[in-house]
Amino acid sequence: MIDTFHTGMIAASLCIIIAFFSFLKETDDLHRLLLTDLASVMALFLIALVGTDLAEALILPGLVVTISKLMALAEIYLVKEGLQKNSPSRILDIEVLQSAPAILASILVIYGIILSGFSGGAVAGLGVIFYLVCKGHQERFELIETVSGYAWVAWIAAFFIILIFPSQWFLAVMIAGGAILIKVTAKLSLIGTMRGESDV
Amino acid sequence: MFDQNIEGAELFALPFGDIVPFFSVYTATLAAFVVVFILISAFDRPERQLNIVFGGDAYYAKEIKESDTRFSRFMAIACGCATLGAVVTGDVFNFTLFAVLVGITNIAIVASAGNRHVLNAAFQYGIVAMIATVPLFGSAAIILATTGTLSIWTLAGMGAVPLLAKALLILGVMGEGIAPLYIGKAEIIRAQGAPFVLMIHFSSLLLFLRVTEIVLVI
Repeated sequence: MIDTFHTGMIAASLCIIIAFFSFLKETDDLHRLLLTDLASVMALFLIALVGTDLAEALILPGLVVTISKLMALAEIYLVKEGLQKNSPSRILDIEVLQSAPAILASILVIYGIILSGFSGGAVAGLGVIFYLVCKGHQERFELIETVSGYAWVAWIAAFFIILIFPSQWFLAVMIAGGAILIKVTAKLSLIGTMRGESDV
Repeated sequence: MFDQNIEGAELFALPFGDIVPFFSVYTATLAAFVVVFILISAFDRPERQLNIVFGGDAYYAKEIKESDTRFSRFMAIACGCATLGAVVTGDVFNFTLFAVLVGITNIAIVASAGNRHVLNAAFQYGIVAMIATVPLFGSAAIILATTGTLSIWTLAGMGAVPLLAKALLILGVMGEGIAPLYIGKAEIIRAQGAPFVLMIHFSSLLLFLRVTEIVLVI
């Protein structure tokens, strides 16, 4: 246990040195606030390194106090900079929700296609929901309807293939699997558009 | 463990598995002080703030309403409770947690003044206190990894705790309890609800007294 701890300790010390060095370099208050979170994660990292049941039990209280401290600091920052009165025009007006959706949604959709079938459709649909919630949906709505319609047709066509040409069962299963994937994706992504905008 | 000079006689011990809550003369005295100060901050009435008119001998007193001091009074009591926990606990990790809690409540007491300069001071102090969690938890982790326990009762007199862990523990408490050394002190004390600022100094003092005891004993 001790040897593993020492190896991990060296890695953690390196991380801590990097974190503290960034504190030296950074002058912007908001960025320093974010860096304090990095420091607190390093503190939890040190406890997690011990790797016993007791250490595991210590992680949660440690996390709670560091997060409460971070929240208190964030609140002080808001009051200090007079940002409390700036209410955002959209509820989800957060910078990361403008930049992240494309990457996260594409990862989820690709993973959903790999899974295929109903669960794959659910995963891919989640990606599309996330994208639409973050980015808005104005002109994509009709596209989803159209794709969903074609998917339904393909699914029915797969059934006909199975009934009429049983020897081609593999092709039919593939078409049905792909179609249900697209269908579930489209259904779930409708949830992402139900946010009460004017044309919905 | 009561053969240590600093502890004095044993008053109470509750064998509760590995972690034994105990009262020696030393910790009982500290705890009694904390209880007295919690009661003071719960029931006192903040004095009026006197401003002297420049260039004359006139002065005026500001009216302070009960609602103005409600938040700082609550935080002073919370700070007292966290300090009580830090003083009576028999576990090194719990001590570090309570030290962090004292840091949070101290930030809140400072920030409740509302003045922009004071808020700046509170923010900077908060960042120092946040960074101090690294040595605090680090020392607890090292103690746990080297000895396999965090109980002060078990560790007492063994001499098994490495010097690095003790140094980190003291460093962490210095980070959490640094408020009395802060440059914004004058500004904070001038603000409304000044009596509650006393709690910052008091909690820091007790944290230092307790960490001294822990470092000497383990």
